Amino acid sequence: MLELYAVSKIYGNGVVALRDVDLKVNKGEFVFIVGPSGAGKTTLTRLILAEEKPTKGQIIVNNKVVNNLRPSEIPYLRRQIGTVFQDFRLMHNWTVEENVSFAMKVIEAPRRAIRKRVPEVLEMVGLANKAKHLPTQLSGGEQQRVALARAIVNQPYILLADEPTGNLDPETAWGIMRVLQDINAQGTTILMVTHAKNIVDEMRKRVVALEGGRIVRDETRGAYGNEN
Amino acid sequence: MRIRTWAFFTGQAFSSMRRNSWMTVASIGTVAVTMIVLGIFLLLGGNINNIAGNIESQVEVSIYLQDEITSGQVDDLAQKFAAMEQVALVKYVSKEEALQELREMYGESGDFLAGLELDNPLRNGFRLRTHRPEQVLEIVPTLRSFDGVAEVQYGQGFVEQLFAVTNVMRVVALGLMLGLASAATFIIANTIRITVFARRREISIMKYVGATDWFIRWPFVIEGMTLGLVGSLIAAGLVAWAYSAAVVNLAVTIPFFPLVKPWPFLLGVSGWLLLIGTTIGVLGSTLSLRRFLRV
Repeated sequence: MLELYAVSKIYGNGVVALRDVDLKVNKGEFVFIVGPSGAGKTTLTRLILAEEKPTKGQIIVNNKVVNNLRPSEIPYLRRQIGTVFQDFRLMHNWTVEENVSFAMKVIEAPRRAIRKRVPEVLEMVGLANKAKHLPTQLSGGEQQRVALARAIVNQPYILLADEPTGNLDPETAWGIMRVLQDINAQGTTILMVTHAKNIVDEMRKRVVALEGGRIVRDETRGAYGNEN
Repeated sequence: MRIRTWAFFTGQAFSSMRRNSWMTVASIGTVAVTMIVLGIFLLLGGNINNIAGNIESQVEVSIYLQDEITSGQVDDLAQKFAAMEQVALVKYVSKEEALQELREMYGESGDFLAGLELDNPLRNGFRLRTHRPEQVLEIVPTLRSFDGVAEVQYGQGFVEQLFAVTNVMRVVALGLMLGLASAATFIIANTIRITVFARRREISIMKYVGATDWFIRWPFVIEGMTLGLVGSLIAAGLVAWAYSAAVVNLAVTIPFFPLVKPWPFLLGVSGWLLLIGTTIGVLGSTLSLRRFLRV
């Protein structure tokens, strides 16, 4: 599903963001990526999304080597990976429905498929009654649900969530986590970068801890740990 | 791509133009002004070409024959002239015909020509036309070398000057047009750059959901194309209206001034304006997108 072999990333200014990272994530797993700021978490997500190329090593997504894709191939990789960010990244002047259906328009899905699928995912994230709202009329938690709906509407193999609860109050954050669990239960692999200690400790999922660009801990039913 | 996707692109382009309405109006206006200037140059150029062409096509070589020449020699010369590859037309003009032409030219004031038919001072001769006016200069020395030819006239000096002037005018007009067209391209590029910059967040979102570069590019290309097309349509309309009016007015004030007739001349000019305007729009948007697509 997702495999990294001896992946290193050294930036032009000499900063070593990742060194010799080996990681294998199987289909249907739920993985927390934790670690202090500057540990290499963001670099890891950027490499998986082919926003950057690794200096060394190999990255394989769904049995395809992606660390040296041509620019024209990158969009097709990203269609297999749903993404959610701390800042939601929605189109402000599009309705909830338009934001979600856009991901399907990009892959030129048939109109009938869009009309069928969009209400399904909005139902799944609990926004069936807000389809015609603009993001600005929604709360932070609701906006993140829109982002989640958009990320999964094309049924990606992997959902990459970069601090999806970072801007939300604890109660709302748990709402998002329940949606993520539902998505995971339907077979989507989830990689979630987070600082939310209470969530990681409570959920008891696989935890991969990064520090100084290395994997320092990889536990199947782990906790957040002591590192900040 | 699906028709629906194109509808989506067009919708995106138009909503972007609505959102930046003042910028849209400004760039349509700039394109229109540029295209009007370009249109005026095209009209001037067309008319200069027309006048030059008129004059050039009237460039003729007159050959005057020696008086003692026999009719057999005349036929012989006619064949030799016709055999030259540059020569398009050979016409024998007897001195009687030449006199008749003079009479027609002077009309009523031609009294002084009366009685000349009894002792015609004119000479028999030929008039030649070449395929291209500039070929006149090539054939004159050969013509002079033929036996029986007394004199060759072709408007010496004038022909050379005419070609020099029309060539310079063509080059200057072309240079000005190129300059104007590239200025308009940069103006559109700037407009699109502003909308692209305003929407760079949206572009990065599109890239995250897996949109291809062309999927992102098309709405902007359509926007640039529309700006160019609308601007040049306005220009073409104004230029066509003004020229038609000018032709009508000039026909009254300066009769016989050889302006090119509006139809189908204006069709060609408008066609060029629309084509150049639209191309400029597409070029401008493509230029300004190149940097922003690297996300």
